[in-house]
Amino acid sequence: MTKTFRIGRRAALAGGVAALASPAVVRAQADPIKLATLTPLTGAGGPYGPVMAKAAASVVEEVNKAGGVNGRRVVLVSEDDQTNPEAGVRAARKLIDVDKVSAIMGTWASSVTTAVAPLCWESKTFLCTVSGADSITLLPHQGYLVRTQPNSKLQVMRVGEFMLSLGVKKVFTMIPQTPFTQSTFDTLNAVLPKGGATHQSLIYDDKKTTYRTEVDQALRASPDLLLAGGYTPDSVVLLKDLYRAGFKGKVVGFAYSINQKLVDQVGQNEIVEGVYTFAPSSAEGSTAYDKVKAAVGSANPDPYTCQVYDHASMVLMAMAIAKDSSGTAIKDNIRKVTQGGGKTVDNAVDGIKAIAAGEKIDYTGASGPCDFDEKGDILDCKFRYEQIKAGKFTVVKIA
Amino acid sequence: MPSYLLFIATIGGIYGLLALSLNLIWGGAGMVNLGLAGFFAVGAYASGLLTTAGQVPIVAGWMAALVAGGFAGLIVTLSTTRLRQDYLAIVTLGFAEVVRLVAANEIWLTRGTDGISGIPGPWKSALGQNFNSVYFLIVVAALVVVFLVVRRIDRSPYGRALRAIREDAQVAQVAGKPVLRFKTEAFTLSAAIAGLAGALYGHFTSYIAPDLFLPLITVYIFLAVASGGTGRPAGALLGAYLVMTLLESSRFFVEWIPGTTAVQRAALKELLIAVALILVLRLKPSGVLPERIPPAPRPATGASS
Repeated sequence: MTKTFRIGRRAALAGGVAALASPAVVRAQADPIKLATLTPLTGAGGPYGPVMAKAAASVVEEVNKAGGVNGRRVVLVSEDDQTNPEAGVRAARKLIDVDKVSAIMGTWASSVTTAVAPLCWESKTFLCTVSGADSITLLPHQGYLVRTQPNSKLQVMRVGEFMLSLGVKKVFTMIPQTPFTQSTFDTLNAVLPKGGATHQSLIYDDKKTTYRTEVDQALRASPDLLLAGGYTPDSVVLLKDLYRAGFKGKVVGFAYSINQKLVDQVGQNEIVEGVYTFAPSSAEGSTAYDKVKAAVGSANPDPYTCQVYDHASMVLMAMAIAKDSSGTAIKDNIRKVTQGGGKTVDNAVDGIKAIAAGEKIDYTGASGPCDFDEKGDILDCKFRYEQIKAGKFTVVKIA
Repeated sequence: MPSYLLFIATIGGIYGLLALSLNLIWGGAGMVNLGLAGFFAVGAYASGLLTTAGQVPIVAGWMAALVAGGFAGLIVTLSTTRLRQDYLAIVTLGFAEVVRLVAANEIWLTRGTDGISGIPGPWKSALGQNFNSVYFLIVVAALVVVFLVVRRIDRSPYGRALRAIREDAQVAQVAGKPVLRFKTEAFTLSAAIAGLAGALYGHFTSYIAPDLFLPLITVYIFLAVASGGTGRPAGALLGAYLVMTLLESSRFFVEWIPGTTAVQRAALKELLIAVALILVLRLKPSGVLPERIPPAPRPATGASS
């Protein structure tokens, strides 16, 4: 058997000479462009990371089918940040030093993004993130970072306005200590009194197994609306304890924690009945959004999945404009992809074609228009409000 | 690839410092310190805060980390003088959680869960690409010094007294050893080493946050010391690199398994680590480099007669 595969010395020499003699383009093709996703596949972000990686992979696959970028194939490496900054840093180091990726996409937890960001700008690797903490875009990232998630101040302002629109008078916020906790309080304390509502709050430890005392403390203020600002595991416990304590008011929570998985884990529909959720909206109904739906095989992909789809598309088109695949090339050209007018495109394949034809483009993605300010923050975004009815999420409004 | 290996070797060295710290206290005096991550955090925050907000030189930050870690260790031992074994383990675990929660909630001091970013590295801007190599040498230097110190302790009469306390504190007391003093000193030194490790970590990655100091890191170090060899500094050090090698090499290993999704690979990776450690402990229950107890020195012939 082994004999059949043996390559004679002469044949090998001939092959080598042929390879060297062939044009540079052919050789470059053997050397693919590398991109990475660094999403949480395990840990608190575990419900999101896998689908996010899949969305990015679908973009890369499509682009490869259409001939790649700048005549080169694209390879996507997916690593797990374990929703932990220490593990995230090790994974990022591997992506940067071993795989030599040009861009890392999809970091989810704010602490992971803040830990990974310095490695990226020091090694001139581009970083696209979905983390919301205000402090992230204030890091000295020299342009090597954009985020598609609206910062927490904008999000909380909108949720405050939404709560006022429900006609409530006493709002109580229960939230674990996170990078956006303080700005949540500050923003709500500013927004709610303007609409004639009062605001009280408490910070809880998100690793506890019961919140009876916290719930008692909150209910002593007899609120008519409770904002549950935690992650999925602690929100499951919190909602159960609220139900047991007989809380009759409204509950609002962020859609990243109050999701189908939470409903399944709670297991009793009456506990979550009527709970409102809130999220930066994907551009539903847009053509890019439909592509994400098809790519991940889900009727309503979450915002992070849409954002990562956009990350991969923007990065690949920026490379096409630059005719170069380095992180610096992406940094210098990403805004030429996303804003400034030109032909509207909703996917990387069409975008790369248009760029090859010498046209200007303006990408409008699955998560929204994807226009960035100079700090890397997103300029505009829609928000989506849902309510749980009989265990199902129904849309209240998108505005 | 070389810079990645250098990075892993540096982090491995920091794990090594933690393993030496744990080995001194657990392997040496038999005190179970589940609060290692807490002392690690105290050192990281002491140095991180002093060098960013306090503007002190980095070396002074490291010294402060040693002192802060040792001081925290002193307080923990003095407040737990009556506790042994499981009870001490629970209290130290609690201590680590307290440190993490204080770091997360005392925003005025620690910037809360945002963490402290932009912690300076020594000559970082001047060194550029060579920073990792130089830092690796710094960590190795720290590791060598600490290793020599703990090995000296291990082989000295002092180390024998610690072992006697580990085996039976009451007997050691009867033999006239000041048990409390021994325990306090050993614990303080151990905590100081952990504090230094924290400072070295912070200045290397330039960012620290409460999430870094979850009990997971303590578990890794316990695995390192147990698999390397409890009670022997060289074993602890080897164990630290063993754990780091497992953590990182499994990353590449699972990439070779065809037909798996990214999620399955992430789960497989953790599974592989667990299986490897079970195998080590099944085949070599006392670790790869088991403890060697040197024979007690014979009394001089003149004295015995």
